[in-house]
Amino acid sequence: MTKPELQERFQTLIEEHKKILYKVCNAYCRNRDDRDDLAQEIALQLWRSFGTFDARVRFSTWMYRIALNVAISFYRRESTRTRSLLPADICLLEESAATASQPEEILLLYQFIEGLDPLNKGLILLYLDGYSYREIADMLGIRETNVATKISRLKQTMKQKFGEPTQA
Amino acid sequence: MDLDELKTKWTEYDRKLDASLELNRQLLGEARLNRAKTALQRLTLGLGLEAVLTFVAIAALGDFLYTNRSLPRFAFPAAALDLCAIVIFIALIRQITLAMQIDYGKPIAVIQKQIVELQRLRIRSLQGIFLGATLAWIPLLIVAFKGLFGLDTYRLFGAAWLSANVLLGLAIIPLAIWMSKRFGDRLGRFPLMQRLRNDLMGPNLNAAVGFLAILSEFEDVN
Repeated sequence: MTKPELQERFQTLIEEHKKILYKVCNAYCRNRDDRDDLAQEIALQLWRSFGTFDARVRFSTWMYRIALNVAISFYRRESTRTRSLLPADICLLEESAATASQPEEILLLYQFIEGLDPLNKGLILLYLDGYSYREIADMLGIRETNVATKISRLKQTMKQKFGEPTQA
Repeated sequence: MDLDELKTKWTEYDRKLDASLELNRQLLGEARLNRAKTALQRLTLGLGLEAVLTFVAIAALGDFLYTNRSLPRFAFPAAALDLCAIVIFIALIRQITLAMQIDYGKPIAVIQKQIVELQRLRIRSLQGIFLGATLAWIPLLIVAFKGLFGLDTYRLFGAAWLSANVLLGLAIIPLAIWMSKRFGDRLGRFPLMQRLRNDLMGPNLNAAVGFLAILSEFEDVN
C-alpha cells in the first residue's frame, strides 16, 4: 500500500469510527479545550500506530485500546499539556446542535462516568458500546470474571446513586 | 434508573452521533500528522537529547580525569562528577528503553503499568539530580575552572570557602523545601514550574504510586 493510499485508508477508518473518539473524549474531559486536545492526541497516536495495525483484529477494538490508553495517560498527566497537532481555533471533531445538547439520560450517564476512576471509565464505555465481557477483558487486560464483577458493582453503585427515591 | 436502562438510551444516542458528528479530515493530512509529535515521542526525544548531553559530559570528565590523574585535588572531584554522570546516563537509557517499549495497542492494564513505571523512574531521577546538584556544584566549579580557564579554585577561593559552600549546598535543601511549601501555590501560573515542583516535592510520585494501587485493585477479582 502506497503512502497516499495508507493515508486515505486511515482517514476513512477514523471517519467510520469517529464516535469512539467523541465518546472517549467526552468521558475523560468535561472541558471543551481539553476534549479537543485529547482528540488530537488520540488521532496522532492512532496514526503513529497505524503501521502496526493487524487487520485480523476489528478496527474498533484496536482504536478503543489506543484511545483509552491515551485518554487515561492524558487524564493523569499534570497541567502541562501542549497542543501538538492543530491550531487552537480548529477542532478535529465538530458536533452539531443535536449532540451538543445531550438528552438528560446521557448527561446523567456522563455525570456518573465522571465520578469513576480512569480505568472504570473505560470499562463502562466498552460495556455501554455493547462489547462482550470477553472482548472487554481482552482490551483491558483483566479476567472475564473480573469484568462481570465490576459491571455488577457499577450497576449497584448506579442504583444507589440514581435509583428511584424511596416512598415515604 | 439503572445501567441497563441507560444502555438502551446510550445505543439510541449512539445511532444519532454518526450523522451529527463531523470529522475535519483535512486536519488529518499526512504532512500535518507526520510533523506533529505525540506526548510519548516528545518525552523520548527529550530523554534522548539528555542522554547525548550526558554522554558528552562523561567523555569530557573522563578526559579531564586522565589529564589530571596525578593531581588528586582535581582528580577526585572529576571522578565523583563522572560517576554521577554515568549513573544519570544509565537511568536515562533505562527510561528511553521503557518509553520505546510502550505500545498503546496493547491491553490497558499492561500499558498503564509501564507508563507509571516510566513516570516513577523519571521523577526519582529528577529528584536525585536536584538533590545531587546542591552538593555537586562545588566539584563542578573546581573542574570547570581548571578545565576551561586553567585556574586553581583552591588557591583562588581557599579551601575554607569551598567547604563552606558545600555546607551551604546542604542548607539550601531544607530552605528550598520551605520555600516550595510557602510559595508553591503561586506557581499555578507557570505550569512547567508547578510540574517541576510537584516532581521534586513528591505529589506526582505519590499520584503515580496511588494510580498503581488503583491498577492493582482493578486487576483483582475480589
